[in-house]
Amino acid sequence: MKMLRLFPLELRRLLQSRLTWLILLLTVLSPVLGLVLYKPATSTTMLSMYLANPAIAGGVAGAILFGLVAIFELDRARRSRVDILTDAVVSPLTTALTRLLALLTAAVLTAGLTMLVWLPISAGLIGSVFTGANYVLAYLLLMGLALPLGILAAAAAYQFTRRADLSIVLFIAFCALSLTVWADDWQLCWLNPCVWALSDDFSNFRVFRSVAWMRLTWLAALAGAWTVSYLCIRQYGKGIFGSLARSVRRVYRPVIAAALLACSVTAYAAQPFIDHSNPDLTVMSFYEIPYAEGVTFLSRSAQVFPDTSAGTVTGRASYQFQNTSGQEQSIFFGVNPGYTISNVKANGADVPFTVSGYQEYNEARLEVTIPAEEEVELTMEYSGFPQESLPTMQGGKELSGEYLCLENSALSPRVMNVMPGEEGYPAVIEVTLPETMIAIPFSSSQAEVISENADGTRTWRYEHNGAGGILYAGDYVREDIEAGGMTIQFYYGRKHQAVMEEAGAVEAVKAVVDYCTEHYGTLSFGSGETLKLIQSRVAGGGYAVGGASLLDEADFTIANLGDADKGAIPGEVFIHELVHQWWGLGNMFDTVDPTSPWSSEGLTVYTTYRIVKELYGEAYAQEHYVDQWRQAVDDYYLNFYVRNPEYLEVLPEAVQLGISNSLSSVRRYSEMPLKILKAEQLAGGEEAMDQILKGLFNRELDPMYPYLTYQEFLDACHLTEEELDLG
Amino acid sequence: MGKIFRYECKRLLWNKFFFGLLLVSLFYGWQVLSGVTILGVSHTAPFSPWSFGDYLCRMVPLLWIGALFFLTFFTSGRARRAAVLTDAAPMPPRRYALARCAAALAGTALLALACLGEAAVFYGWYFKWYHWSTLLLPALVTLTPPLVFALGSGWLLGRLRPWLIYVWMPVPFALAALPLPEALGLWNGSFFTRYPLTLEALDPAFSLPPAAAAAQCVLLAAGAALLAARARQGRIRRQAGEAGI
Repeated sequence: MKMLRLFPLELRRLLQSRLTWLILLLTVLSPVLGLVLYKPATSTTMLSMYLANPAIAGGVAGAILFGLVAIFELDRARRSRVDILTDAVVSPLTTALTRLLALLTAAVLTAGLTMLVWLPISAGLIGSVFTGANYVLAYLLLMGLALPLGILAAAAAYQFTRRADLSIVLFIAFCALSLTVWADDWQLCWLNPCVWALSDDFSNFRVFRSVAWMRLTWLAALAGAWTVSYLCIRQYGKGIFGSLARSVRRVYRPVIAAALLACSVTAYAAQPFIDHSNPDLTVMSFYEIPYAEGVTFLSRSAQVFPDTSAGTVTGRASYQFQNTSGQEQSIFFGVNPGYTISNVKANGADVPFTVSGYQEYNEARLEVTIPAEEEVELTMEYSGFPQESLPTMQGGKELSGEYLCLENSALSPRVMNVMPGEEGYPAVIEVTLPETMIAIPFSSSQAEVISENADGTRTWRYEHNGAGGILYAGDYVREDIEAGGMTIQFYYGRKHQAVMEEAGAVEAVKAVVDYCTEHYGTLSFGSGETLKLIQSRVAGGGYAVGGASLLDEADFTIANLGDADKGAIPGEVFIHELVHQWWGLGNMFDTVDPTSPWSSEGLTVYTTYRIVKELYGEAYAQEHYVDQWRQAVDDYYLNFYVRNPEYLEVLPEAVQLGISNSLSSVRRYSEMPLKILKAEQLAGGEEAMDQILKGLFNRELDPMYPYLTYQEFLDACHLTEEELDLG
Repeated sequence: MGKIFRYECKRLLWNKFFFGLLLVSLFYGWQVLSGVTILGVSHTAPFSPWSFGDYLCRMVPLLWIGALFFLTFFTSGRARRAAVLTDAAPMPPRRYALARCAAALAGTALLALACLGEAAVFYGWYFKWYHWSTLLLPALVTLTPPLVFALGSGWLLGRLRPWLIYVWMPVPFALAALPLPEALGLWNGSFFTRYPLTLEALDPAFSLPPAAAAAQCVLLAAGAALLAARARQGRIRRQAGEAGI
């Protein structure tokens, strides 16, 4: 009760201090740092540049400033040597709690004021893709929650040490850790959330949920630490342990502290966002599981029910197998690590199953034993929050009423060790979505509505042939483009329509397809020559399958339109992914050999360079492609661990893998294109190389080994491997 | 004087601030070593003078803050009140100030040595590398000028207004964010990541361009001059006090 009486007095005193108003003003101004100096979100979407970066910078600066104010205020009585008097009037415990509440209230006022001040500025900078929901969530989570964390951390440090100087050092070191060595650990960077991009055209709930989880984890941890420090507040002239022993007599106090700390540890350990996939990207043990003897795949079906408000998925999958072995067989499936499997039945009877703790490439391994019957129908149910693998690039598994992307085992469990039947892996997928969303299978298949449901949802159905499969859905616009002798179905977000039209996206797609068709040949998908080009939520890259390619939304942003260097076509990731229709899909490549730079990426990156050179000019292509490859390759050859691999072997495994993964991608994306460029010069120039590549693209395939090899490329160029050495 | 020096050292070092600062520095240092230095900088080994220098540059802000906090022992309001008594002691104020300077230097040097020792343990632990003598020069060049300057300038500011020391603390962080010219690259750490690349040699030996060496010398001289001025100021104050001015 005393605290309630003291709180308004303390708050008034705090708000009458000039220092408080200075800190408040600096915090309100601090988002400007995110526009000019501190830009952790590296994507070029408008929301990343003009919302995420200012909000994160505001949070960092505000938390540090409020932390320092907290120490200054807590030390005030001691500094003025009136603590003996004030402690005699009011219990130091009551004072500490009152001051904390006053500081937190000031932080709330500051966050609210900052949001008001920056609302018109952000709306003006972001333009047509600005939304109130993104703005409020970004400022609340990226900035607002940082302030109480700063106050709690600093106040706890002061209450433990009871020295302003030491608590400032502790607090600054704690901030510095978050800003430097913990910056890439999404759970540890308490001050600066790991947000690399916010989408302009689709929702960002996945990223916001992840930041909220991190913030709440730290809020529990620091509130717990503060509560322990509260118990250590010196009273009755006792030291830290004497005061602690006195304070814990009221049992609820240590219980609250322990509960908060336990909550924090549990939230840290049981986070639902990121899986525990093997960081060694060269290990592909799930592809090495031997096929089940005598078992062939007949068909499968799945009914998928995404919950767009909770971001979760529920589904039922059914598989038909033929088991001619006369024995029970173990069938392995890849499942998203966030899913729980239940109700697994074979021909209507329960069968044993286990899910491995080991995870690889965003999949856990589900093992099911099927009976020794010739026809087996295996059914199972799955549900959960789909997890992703890249903690520093979260958002890929966005699932909301505006957008969803379910890839392979996130869509339904992917069978791993069953031989395909005569028809391959035929599948029928049904997905129930809100009526504002359209379903777009990432393949040559077309989805159609089979029922309109009373709850405002529609059920879509499509056929597919494959063990996995990718599904996109959202509020899309479709535009059909005739180019390269085929029809391109171009899907992009409705919110992006004006930008796409202004950017001339249709012309860009036509130019790329016409270039590749003219130089290498026409594509054939066996499905009426239709190619889908789907705009994805900002992903930092893309992929392609036969009949479908991805276009990253960051390729066409309002900011890109103003970049005069890029001429008429701003997007380069989409060029790369379209070119994969020729190199990688139209012409297949064998599994990547980690010791060789040869893969579909080499020819794709080279062709992208050629297209960019034609579209943007030689100077642009030289600066943004050749010079960057050369720089990356030089760095690779000079890297200490490449030159001295014996030192790499003594490092901790996680560091080893981080280094070797980044090095192998340099070889495929930079070294190989540079070798092809050298081959072009040795073979007689661009036209000669175009003829060579056209010949390779249209060559007669060996059905037993249809892959394009490095040796075939060298033979076509009449060159040897040594001649393409870059050393 | 030795007695005063020992007393000031005890006051400065035998307390929870020093041990807390030491623990924070060691923890932060280990995070930097195992997260950043282990990768090496500018294509050099993690135990090259360049990577080691980069590690030290990342530690300088913490050591700078520590050094300035040591000064608050001598410039705070409480210390000023006690100065009425210490000034009355039969001891030349110049020597008294020198003893205090030496104590602050000793505290800062101990912190810096702890960071150096931690790096030595790290290199031995991970790489079985023990050629520490090659790291002596980068350590001296990187740490001595800024820390001496921190003490000299901090002392001057603390004499003017005690709170100016706190304003002075975030200076290394501000420098880290500024695009400084190459000659001042040692002040924000960019020297160790950029300069070796300009030497066009693999694993270059440690060297310092004249401009950067001059900048460090100026910094060191400025720091030393400020410390000397502080000692001289103490003597003048005392003489003025005796003359009743």
